[in-house]
Amino acid sequence: MTLLRMFLVQTKSHFVWYFRRDGEMMFWTLAMPVFFLVLFSFAFSDGSNTGSSRFLVPGIIGAQVLSSGFWGVGVMLATFREKNLLRRIYITPMPPWVFFASLVVYRMALLGAQAVLLVAVGAFVFHVRIIGNPLEILAILVLGTATFVSLGTIIGALARTTESANNVASILTVPLAFLSDAYVPIDRFPHVVASALRLLPSTQFIDTFRDVAVGGASLGAYGVWIGALVVWTIAGTAISARTFRWV
Amino acid sequence: MTDSSAAIDVRRLTKRYGAVTAVDAISFSVPRGTIFGLLGRNGAGKTTTLECCIGIGKPTGGEIRVLGLDPTRPRDLARLRSRIGVQLQATSLPEKANVREVLELYAAYYGIVPRPDEMAARVGLDGKLDRQISQMSGGEQQRLALALALQHDPDVLFLDEPTAGMDAFGRRILWAEVERLRDTGKTVVLTTHYIEEAERLSDRVCVVQRGTIVAEASPAELIARYGGAAAVTIVADGFSPDASLERLGTWTKAGAEWKLATRGEPGLALAAVVTQANAAGAKIASLDMHHPTLEDAFIAITGETLTELETA
Repeated sequence: MTLLRMFLVQTKSHFVWYFRRDGEMMFWTLAMPVFFLVLFSFAFSDGSNTGSSRFLVPGIIGAQVLSSGFWGVGVMLATFREKNLLRRIYITPMPPWVFFASLVVYRMALLGAQAVLLVAVGAFVFHVRIIGNPLEILAILVLGTATFVSLGTIIGALARTTESANNVASILTVPLAFLSDAYVPIDRFPHVVASALRLLPSTQFIDTFRDVAVGGASLGAYGVWIGALVVWTIAGTAISARTFRWV
Repeated sequence: MTDSSAAIDVRRLTKRYGAVTAVDAISFSVPRGTIFGLLGRNGAGKTTTLECCIGIGKPTGGEIRVLGLDPTRPRDLARLRSRIGVQLQATSLPEKANVREVLELYAAYYGIVPRPDEMAARVGLDGKLDRQISQMSGGEQQRLALALALQHDPDVLFLDEPTAGMDAFGRRILWAEVERLRDTGKTVVLTTHYIEEAERLSDRVCVVQRGTIVAEASPAELIARYGGAAAVTIVADGFSPDASLERLGTWTKAGAEWKLATRGEPGLALAAVVTQANAAGAKIASLDMHHPTLEDAFIAITGETLTELETA
């Protein structure tokens, strides 16, 4: 009971302090992805609009999962440390896993809101239909979030300052968004390059998510990539746990 | 050997950062129900010592026991956390949180029922429960940090420079609260570079300099031992000490000013000096009496002045 209340109050605090009372954060989280969807849908239009939007709705959701892990968790942890919040939390009886669970659940809630918004705009404006099995969609989203949160936590663990965490997150997030089949189809690259990019966990996650959500594919057909994502998650969690510093 | 009856027992604590030795074989013991002050300028090793006691810093060497538990052992530290309260130096709280929410979150950390109204009143933040951190002064944030350290009713309180940046009002509130806690049997360890604070609050003061303890005693003992003589100074045309005044201590003259250094009670000496000046018909231009203070003792012990201390 104590742990549950700790977890709930901490999660609610994250939400109220870092989202609901932060207009800039709300804008970046909710308005920007929709703005990108609309902008790129028209920019890459193949005449029908649905074609590019059908690619972009899952692509942008996937890119948000990436930035959620790298920025939302990685940079946030570095900021917490720089502002001495982590050391203050460390001396309370809260178990570390409760703190991390609250952070992950908070980010998942925001991702859920982003996904619902993007799917709604995609459906009403661009007639994009989500035809996949809802449970499988949820499963791959949760796995992807776990992967990139665990990798993002490494940034938060190793970065000395908020600024360096920011730089690392930018270097990773921006190129990956364009090289992982999120905004731009990697099929447009030469075959060798596209094959190489499919080795990235970000590409594997986004392609799997897209094929399941709008392609109606079954998750079972992506066993190897799912296995790879699980390995990345375990490795990321292990490295984070070994390197994380509270002070 | 460590003394298990003490609330805190530190034996030869050493902490090195690379080639720098921040704390060099410090030993001290804090009896339950007392206030223990670590006094020294910034960088003397006070904060490092305190951080090792609460498990934030990992000692390079030595032994620490807090309530019989070893903060360097994860299992002990886990048990210790709910029994200690900590106000860290330069605590930063989430800017967009308000007072009530922070108190509620910390109550959840300790698995206790939040008491926002009571705690806010205790630290002089009544009526400010809905105030956001970003709209509070540094002193108000420090007082909230104190409330967070107290809410779960800990047995031992660690306060790192608790009144740094506080105004007189905040300082009075904090001092009264610390004394009240001691009177209810709690143990308090505080670091400070304010001599007045150390003198006013501490049952025992530990003077820390360059990572070592250079003196440890009650403030009164430190003053008696290191504070030097009390002094009476007088500037009066036609005054010079007679034989009876000579017996009170050592007289020196600088310009027009006569100065008596006395081991006796300076008030009585002052009265005798005034009586003789009046009897001699001398016109008193200035008259002063100086009791040795903890500051005098501190300067004698460390060779550092208060100005150095404040601005260091």
